[in-house]
Amino acid sequence: MVALVVITGVVFSMMSQSTKASESFAGLKDYKLTKVVNATVDPAQGSGIVLNPGSKTQIDIWEDPQCPYCRMFEESNGNYVDDLIRTKKATVVFHVLSFEGEESVRAANAEFCAADEGRYLDMHKAIYLLQPKLGNSGFYSNANLIKIGGYIGLKSKSFTDCINKASKFDNVKASYDSMAKYKVTGTPTVFINGKLWQAKSASYDNNEFRLAVEAG
Amino acid sequence: MKTLNAKFQPLLTLIFRLVLGGVLVVAGGIKALSPEDSAGAVASYKILPTQIAHIFGYALPWLEIAIGLLLIIGLSVRFAAITGGVVMVMFIGAIISVWARGILIDCGCFGGGGAIDSAKAATAHRAYFVEILRDAGLVLSAAYLYFFPYGRLGVEKLATHIKEQ
Repeated sequence: MVALVVITGVVFSMMSQSTKASESFAGLKDYKLTKVVNATVDPAQGSGIVLNPGSKTQIDIWEDPQCPYCRMFEESNGNYVDDLIRTKKATVVFHVLSFEGEESVRAANAEFCAADEGRYLDMHKAIYLLQPKLGNSGFYSNANLIKIGGYIGLKSKSFTDCINKASKFDNVKASYDSMAKYKVTGTPTVFINGKLWQAKSASYDNNEFRLAVEAG
Repeated sequence: MKTLNAKFQPLLTLIFRLVLGGVLVVAGGIKALSPEDSAGAVASYKILPTQIAHIFGYALPWLEIAIGLLLIIGLSVRFAAITGGVVMVMFIGAIISVWARGILIDCGCFGGGGAIDSAKAATAHRAYFVEILRDAGLVLSAAYLYFFPYGRLGVEKLATHIKEQ
């Protein structure tokens, strides 16, 4: 009898998970295309993706696409960081890590592919917007990553090829390998002008972050 | 001690049944409402392979609810006590495992090896310690129920009583 309850429960739970998966692109339904932002990959900075180089303020953000805490950081500070880049107020270097699993590697590759075509910020935003509750359950597949690309203005064959051929794997690996050099052990890890920022709030409060950035 | 137990045993059995059963039903119930959180939590211990961890995470809350209900109503108490005790021992083992490997659950995402932030580590270590103590207490409750499964307000005794008549 106990076995019956358990089996029913498992079936019910697995079914509820699959129906949620089909809703998961809803977040991009009304996505407004943005201006392209040029991005470069700097091997001297752990193969980080550099946006708006040359500013006197530099923010380094280490994230894994499947990390829920990174999603929380993005929810609180994503628009603010986006704005700093687009209005040329700060240089931001995104270090894309992928230790959470194989899907993180795919998503990281997609971010590098998008960076190539000036749409890193869009891909980065989309990945966190759609991040499913349960990691490593199939969402960041090549097909889905290409689909995401479609919503954010990446429809070129070069992008599709980049995804399917995992063309940026070397960058992904170099970024992962650079963790030790920068003494980064987890995500999200944020440095403001080389100094580690330690959030006091559990949700990476934007006011707190903003003050820290402005203080340099 | 023996006479003390003899006097209070039926009541103690009821109390332990309600405590262990209650914890299992509530904990299981909360997890059953968010199956993905449960699946993700099991996976975060990095003991089972990911896909198996997910299935385990889906199944566990229902097992907890079923066993908890049996304990609360007092049916198949010995069986439920053994199962409940095994589940608690398993939890303790899992916590010791992540503690020993330096994995910090619920603090952030960690990977790539290396030393962990000491402030976060302290919070996590305290949490692990408390959880192990709590689960150990529940194991003791389960053990008591194994040896003394019959007590106040239990369906089982009532059922055998009716059978005997």
